[in-house]
Amino acid sequence: MRFDIETLDADGALRETAEAAAGDTRARFLAKAGLLGGGLVGSAALLTPEVADAARRGGRKGDVAILNYALTLEYLEAAFYTRAERKGALSGELALFAEVVGAHERAHVKALKQVLGRKAVARPRFDFQGTTEDAGQFAATAQVLEDTGVAAYAGQAPKVKADAILEAALAIHSVEARHAGWIRDISGEDPAPEAFDEPLTKKQVLAAVGATGFIVPRRRGG
Amino acid sequence: MSEPLTLDLVDQDGAIREAYEEGFSRSALFRRAVVGGGTFVAGGLLVGGLPRVALGKPSAAQDGKILNFALLLEYLESEFYVDAVNKGALLLEPRLLSFAMTVRDHELAHVEFLRQALGGAAIAKPAFDFKGTTEDAEKFAATALVLEDTGVAAYNGQGPRLRARTLPAAAQIVSVEARHAAWIRHIVHGPGYAGGKKTHPAPAAFDRALSKSKVEAAVAATGFIQG
Repeated sequence: MRFDIETLDADGALRETAEAAAGDTRARFLAKAGLLGGGLVGSAALLTPEVADAARRGGRKGDVAILNYALTLEYLEAAFYTRAERKGALSGELALFAEVVGAHERAHVKALKQVLGRKAVARPRFDFQGTTEDAGQFAATAQVLEDTGVAAYAGQAPKVKADAILEAALAIHSVEARHAGWIRDISGEDPAPEAFDEPLTKKQVLAAVGATGFIVPRRRGG
Repeated sequence: MSEPLTLDLVDQDGAIREAYEEGFSRSALFRRAVVGGGTFVAGGLLVGGLPRVALGKPSAAQDGKILNFALLLEYLESEFYVDAVNKGALLLEPRLLSFAMTVRDHELAHVEFLRQALGGAAIAKPAFDFKGTTEDAEKFAATALVLEDTGVAAYNGQGPRLRARTLPAAAQIVSVEARHAAWIRHIVHGPGYAGGKKTHPAPAAFDRALSKSKVEAAVAATGFIQG
C-alpha cells in the first residue's frame, strides 16, 4: 500500500476532514468523521501529515512519542530483513518471507516517517550479530522480532489519543501478527501459541531490544 | 501465560452491562443475519469499500454492542471448528486437523471471555448450519481462511470505537485472529503461493478494517446463522 493521498482519497473527503480537524477536539473530530460515511479510504491512508499535525496541535505529544517508539522498532525490523536479503543465505519460503515481510516493514517505516515529519527519530546503526547470515538464526530471530512487535503495538494502542493514528496502528499490529504466525509455521513452531496475546510495555520491549545488542552506538562524527 | 483478561478489566463498574441492557435489541442483528443464504464468496468479502468506521463517541453502551458483535463472530468461529473436528473430515489432513483443534480452543476461550465480560447482557448462541463446509477438508480450509481474515478486519474496524479501557482486550484477541489467518493461508497456499501476493499469509503491509455492517452482511450471505 502506498501512502498516496490522491489514490486513496479520490473525492478529497479525507483531506478536507484532516484539515478541518486541526486543533479540533476528539469528540468534534469524531463527529465530523462520522459524517463522511461515503469516503472510502484505507485505514492506514488516514495516517497523513495533516492528521499528525492535527494530533500535535491538539497537544498529542504522547502520540508523537508512541509513533517514534514504533518507528524505532520498524527501523530495526526493516534493516534486519533488508540485510538478510542482501546476504543471500536464505532459500525457499524463508527467502520469500524475508522479501515480503521486509517490504512491509519498509512501508511501515515510510508511513511513520511521513507522519512524524521533522519529529521523526533518526535511524539507528545496527549490528545483527550474524543472525542475517544463517538461515536458522534468521528464522529464530525473525520470530522473536515479530512476536515482540505484536506485543509492543498491543501495549501502545490503548494509549494512542488520535483516532486516525490508532486506526493505522491497528492496521500494522495485525500485520505483525500475520508475520509472526507465518514465520512460526515455517519453523514448525505453533503459529498461535495462546488464545490471548500478551502485551508488553515500552520498558519491557526496549529492555528486550537492548539485550539483543542489535542497536549499536553511532560512530563519532557520524 | 497468566490470564490477563478478566471481567474486572473490561467492565469494572458494570457499566457496559447496564447500558447495554437498556438500549439494544439483539433481534435486529439476527434478523439481518438470516436474510441471506448461499455460500461464502471469498473474493467479495474483503475487496469491498473501506468505510471510515469510527462512528459515535466511545461509551459503555457502545462497548457493550461491540462486544456482543464480537461474541457473535466468536460463536460462529468456535462452532465452525467444533463441528469440523467432530465431523472427522480432517482426519487425513494432519496440518488442517492441528490447525482446527488449536483454533477451536482459542475461539472457545474468546467466547468464554466475552460472555464473562458481558454477563447478563451477552447474546445467546444462535443455531448454525455450515452448509457442508465442515464436512469437506477443502471447503473447510477455504471457509476458515475467510472467517479468520474477516475476524481480523472486524476487530480492526471496531478498535477505535472502543473506550481505552476496553481496547486492550480486543487488541489481545485480534492478533491471535491474525495469527490464525496467516496459519491457514500458509497451509492452503504455501509454500508456492501460485495465486501470488494476495494469497500470502500477510497479503499487504496494512490490514484493512471492515465496518460492522459490512461484516454483518458478509456473515448473513453465508447463511451459516440460523437464528
